[in-house]
Amino acid sequence: MGLGGGVMAKAISQSERRRYWMSLAGLAIALPVAVLVHSWESIAAWRAVNEHDPVMVGREESESYAGAEWRLTTLSRLPSGSAEQVVVLAEFEARIEEPNLLTEGLCAVVLTDAEGRRWQPAFLIEPIVRKMHPEAADKPRCGGLAFRNAGKGGTASMAETFVVPATANGLALSVTVPSARPRYLLFR
Amino acid sequence: MKAGFNGAAAVILAAAILYAMQRTTPLYSDIISPVPVAGEQGERIDTRAFALGVGDVHLARIVKTERFGRTRTYTTSGVWVLLEAAAEASRESLTLTSAEWRGPSGVRYTLSQRFSTMPGMLPAERLEPGLPKPVLMAFEVPESELAGGTLLVAPSAFTPLGEEVQVAITQLALGNIRSAVTIRQTGGPMPWVLGAE
Repeated sequence: MGLGGGVMAKAISQSERRRYWMSLAGLAIALPVAVLVHSWESIAAWRAVNEHDPVMVGREESESYAGAEWRLTTLSRLPSGSAEQVVVLAEFEARIEEPNLLTEGLCAVVLTDAEGRRWQPAFLIEPIVRKMHPEAADKPRCGGLAFRNAGKGGTASMAETFVVPATANGLALSVTVPSARPRYLLFR
Repeated sequence: MKAGFNGAAAVILAAAILYAMQRTTPLYSDIISPVPVAGEQGERIDTRAFALGVGDVHLARIVKTERFGRTRTYTTSGVWVLLEAAAEASRESLTLTSAEWRGPSGVRYTLSQRFSTMPGMLPAERLEPGLPKPVLMAFEVPESELAGGTLLVAPSAFTPLGEEVQVAITQLALGNIRSAVTIRQTGGPMPWVLGAE
């Protein structure tokens, strides 16, 4: 066996041996590249619809995003009738510059906290909002209707409510307009 | 001679392995089926998206609902299984729309939609992170499929590789199937109250 192997090894020339290893090393590079090239479009599409590029906005500041000038006017906690949970009222406005960019699709509003938990808006305005801030309860929710009613150059005032645990801290409001993805607004 | 025998043995072995692989190839639906997260009645079961704990399970021949002063009666040719549970979202608000009762024979029964508008019914409750909510589930199941049943709950029925909680129902009063159970709507944090007859 040992003798036969030695004879075989001698029969294979040095250059052939090198070619063999070069090919094997080439495969190690070519395979990942092939996978990447094939899935590149999918990765790009996935990145495009995922919100990963925040536009930070501080309190009392306004920021240009998706064809409008956005500002958070209220982010307040209201009692919910239970010690464990609170109602969060978010009021924000957009001074519209490019109505076309805004009216495509619905905007997504999410409340986040320091732990990275995400709350979607309540379906119905909580009764406490109507009681304590009746003007906010009548504001439209973020979406095409609010923008169309305001028109170009107008200001759309919107409100959303959330139900979150009383212990949640570091609350921030995130607003995404589909046409501006992957950028999204983050009011801190 | 010996080499030839070895060669033939290798071919037969390879054929046997290939045959076994062919016979046991999983279907595409099996490959992308939900990832089970197993647990038991009475304990909290956590998945990446939500947590669920099943408490009391009630059996009845008839379910009555009382709401806005009106009583409705729901009969069944099997047995009503009413499960009281608590659920919570983990990271993001969600709704659990898929629940099934898997009987001992493996047959699955989906959630009854007959009084799905009652408050607290699982598919109607939006769950929030950090806020556990009481939820109620109802199934119509033949009597033979009760003992050794498992509750399967997932955010939706068609999420490839999503997580599915599988709760073994260990405390089932099989000798105590009530003739009727009434679900009464309350206004409080516990949206319903059960009354047995």
